[in-house]
Parts: sequence; C-alpha cells; structure tokens
Amino acid sequence: METNNHSIETKNLSLWYGDFQALMDVSVNIPEGKITALIGPSGCGKTTLLRCFNRVNERYGNVTTEGEIKILGKNIYDPDVSLLELRKSVGMVFQRPNPLPISVYENILFGLRIHSPFGRLTRSQSDEIVEEALTSVFLWEDLKDKLKTRATSLQLEQQQKLCIARLLPLKPQIILMDEPCSALDAKGTLAVEELMGILAGKYTFLIVTHNMAQARRVSTECIYMFLGELIEHRETQALFETPEHPKTADYVQMRYG
Amino acid sequence: MNRSELFIQIIALATLIIACVFVWVVTTEVFDVDSEILSAPMDMDSESDLIGRLYRMIPFLCVALLLSIAFAFYIEEWLSDTTWYYRVINQQISILANIPSVIYAILVVLIFLFQVKLFADFTFVLGIVFLVVPVTIQTTQNAIQGVELSVREAAYALGADRLQVIADHVFPRAFSKIIGGIFTALSRVLAIAALLVIVCEIRTSIIQNVSSFEISSNVFVLISLALLSCILSSILQKNSNS
Repeated sequence: METNNHSIETKNLSLWYGDFQALMDVSVNIPEGKITALIGPSGCGKTTLLRCFNRVNERYGNVTTEGEIKILGKNIYDPDVSLLELRKSVGMVFQRPNPLPISVYENILFGLRIHSPFGRLTRSQSDEIVEEALTSVFLWEDLKDKLKTRATSLQLEQQQKLCIARLLPLKPQIILMDEPCSALDAKGTLAVEELMGILAGKYTFLIVTHNMAQARRVSTECIYMFLGELIEHRETQALFETPEHPKTADYVQMRYG
Repeated sequence: MNRSELFIQIIALATLIIACVFVWVVTTEVFDVDSEILSAPMDMDSESDLIGRLYRMIPFLCVALLLSIAFAFYIEEWLSDTTWYYRVINQQISILANIPSVIYAILVVLIFLFQVKLFADFTFVLGIVFLVVPVTIQTTQNAIQGVELSVREAAYALGADRLQVIADHVFPRAFSKIIGGIFTALSRVLAIAALLVIVCEIRTSIIQNVSSFEISSNVFVLISLALLSCILSSILQKNSNS
C-alpha cells in the first residue's frame, strides 16, 4: 500500500496519564475512506488512542505524549498546527449522544460559526447547509418541521445522527466514533451503522466498539488492542476468522476474561 | 496537609487581605468617593452616618462580585485541578465560605464598638470581602462544574477554543446559578447590615438613656431585602436546569 492512502499514521506512539502508561509504542496506519474498528477489553487504550487523533486528550492535565501522529500527511504535534483546523478535519462522535442544548438548526451551524466567526452566512446559505447535513444523515424528513426544537429533546437515535450531521458542514476527512451505538437500541444501532456504511466512501471512519458483531458488520479493517499495546491489525474478516495472535483469538472467540 | 502547604495557605490568606486593601483603594479612586470621608472617624451615635457609609459600599460590593465571578471562571477553566495551587485556593475558599456569617458580623461589630475609628470603613470593606467573595466564588464554581461535560466535549471537539466554549455554552448554562449565588451573597451582606443598624440603635438609646426602644424602619427594609434575595437565590438555583 502506498502511504498516501493512509489518513492516519502513528509511529511509536506512547502516552502517559501521570505515571500510568496508557499507550505503548503504537504504530498503526488507518486506510483512507474505509471504516476501521478498534476492539479490545475495557481499559486497553482504545478510546485514548482515538482521542489522540484530534488532541482532545490534552484537555485533561498531566498527559504526556511521545511519538508521532500524522494525519493526512501532517504531524499533528508540529507547533504550527492549529487545533482549530485539526478539529475541523477530524470530527468526533461520542459515546452518549451529546447535541448542544440549543436548537437543531443551531447545532448544525455551530461548527461553522466557530470557524467563520464574523457571520458571513446568509439566511438562505445556512438553510441550505442545514438541509444538506440533515439529508445526508436521513433526518431531514423527520426533523424539517422541528428545526427550532431543542436538540436534547429528540430521540437518542436522532440525537446521535444529529451529532454526525453537525460534523458534515465542516467537511471533515476523518470521523472518530467512540462507541457511537452503546446508548442506542437495536433499531438505532442499525440506523447508525447503515449511515456509516453509506458515508464510508467520503469519510474515513475510526470506530471504537465493544460489540464484536458490530465490528464485524461495519468495518473493513480491524485493530485489536490489549493493555495499551496494539496486538493485531488486519482485515476484519481475516482477524475474526484466522487471528494470528493467541490473545486476539481468545478475545474474538470470547474466551477472554 | 504538609507543612509547606500550610505555609502557602497562610501566605494566601495574607495576600487576600492585601488584595482587599488594593481593591478598596482602586474602587474609591475610580468611583471618585472622597477618601477623606471614607477614612474619617465615625460618628458612633448617628445612625444616618452608618447608613450613609453602608450605601457607599455599594460600588465596592459590585466590583467585589464581578471580580469573584471572574476569578471563579479563572480557577475552573484555566487552572488544572491536579496542581497544588488549585487545591490551596479551593481549600481557602471553602474555609472562608463555610464560616458562618455571624462570626464576621461579630468581628465587624467589635471593631465598630471598640471605636477603632480610623478604620471604620475599612472594617466594612473587609466584612464585605469576607462575606461576599468566598460565597460567590464557590457558588460560581459549582455552577461552572454543573455544566455537563458532554456539552464541553462536544464544543471542544468541533474546534471551539476555550473562550468560545465559555462564552457560548458554559456561561449561558451557568448564568442563573451564578446570579443565584450573587443573591446568596447579598442576603448575607444585607442581614449583617441590619444587625449593624440594630447595634447602632441600641447604643444610641443607651447613651441617650431612653427607656423605650424602637427599631427603625431601616432594619425592616434590610431584613426584608435579605429574605427576598434568599428566596430569589433558591428559585434561581433550582430553576437552572430547565
């Protein structure tokens, strides 16, 4: 594979919370335009690794990072990288749907307003953006009459889709998802998974999941992590059917723990 | 708490007092209050003199409130909660905020009764600082901490910087609780002011040897204002989530 097909590359990435080492020498390449799943037992550093990619980890004090993370070919720890631009191109969806407690309409425009602070959006432009974003997550039909309602009063499934939708106007290249379906019921999970499948070509998805069936359903490549180390990274089918590493085999065949 | 941290706590307290002096000087300058009047000896027998002095504390009170809100935002949003100075500051604030207001009242009354005339106004300033600042900081801190982590995370992950997150989300979400905190502080101050007026009246009636003693309407006004702010504060702090 050529390097320019990788959206994210890390080299010997290690991370400490105080004295506790959460990531050990992780080197990984995430392919562009595909869905990559991160699996592993709780506390193995999946979420930590995910959060490194848009540097939200740094907000919690006492974090030390070593090694290199290249996103779209650029090292994100370079001093000239602006967090604003980084977070624009790397969107994140959280475990619990967390729409901002403002209207649906404003939720979608919030990102744009941050990135163009002087209000250059006209009314019709913003209407268009909102419609486009909601249409691409299949919420427009349901929500077109409810644009002024508070986003926190929607159903969980709609909230999570809205959280994805509000990333889209920023035109991100990568979308990080931290267990996006763990707060949803089966129907909601299915809807979000379908949505990911449809959006996959346009965006690179990196998804943390505890649900192995889900990893198997949605992802093209799969990464197994254990206690801060990357154990195995292969195509999903291969990883589940013929795991190379005994630890992976234990986990994917549910013998772990 | 180890010895060096105790030492730091004491220094912090001293700095707080020096800061009060500084703020007092600045406010009297800014609001163009005649500083000679402020430090002039007090006419102990005159209730109107006392009320006048209390009124002159209003600009100072406003500045103290604004500064404490700003300070609360600073410690919650800019200081990392793992550092030792965050712990020291928090400890100091919670010590000061948890001292019952009547203790400050006794101190103020004692200085007032012992006629340390030169510092009569400064006593009020200190009283206000200790009554208002810690409580306001603490309630503001609680209000800020009450803003859900998910809201912050969402805003940060979309690329908002700290000031945008504070201005767009934290402040509006915490606003009614912050105002509630201000009313809590106000009710403390008003109650103590009422107490001072009563003490002044009792003193006057003793000196003039009057047999019947009447409480003036000022006291009732102050007490009802104190009660009103109590009620407002609890309403605001309850309603903040809706």
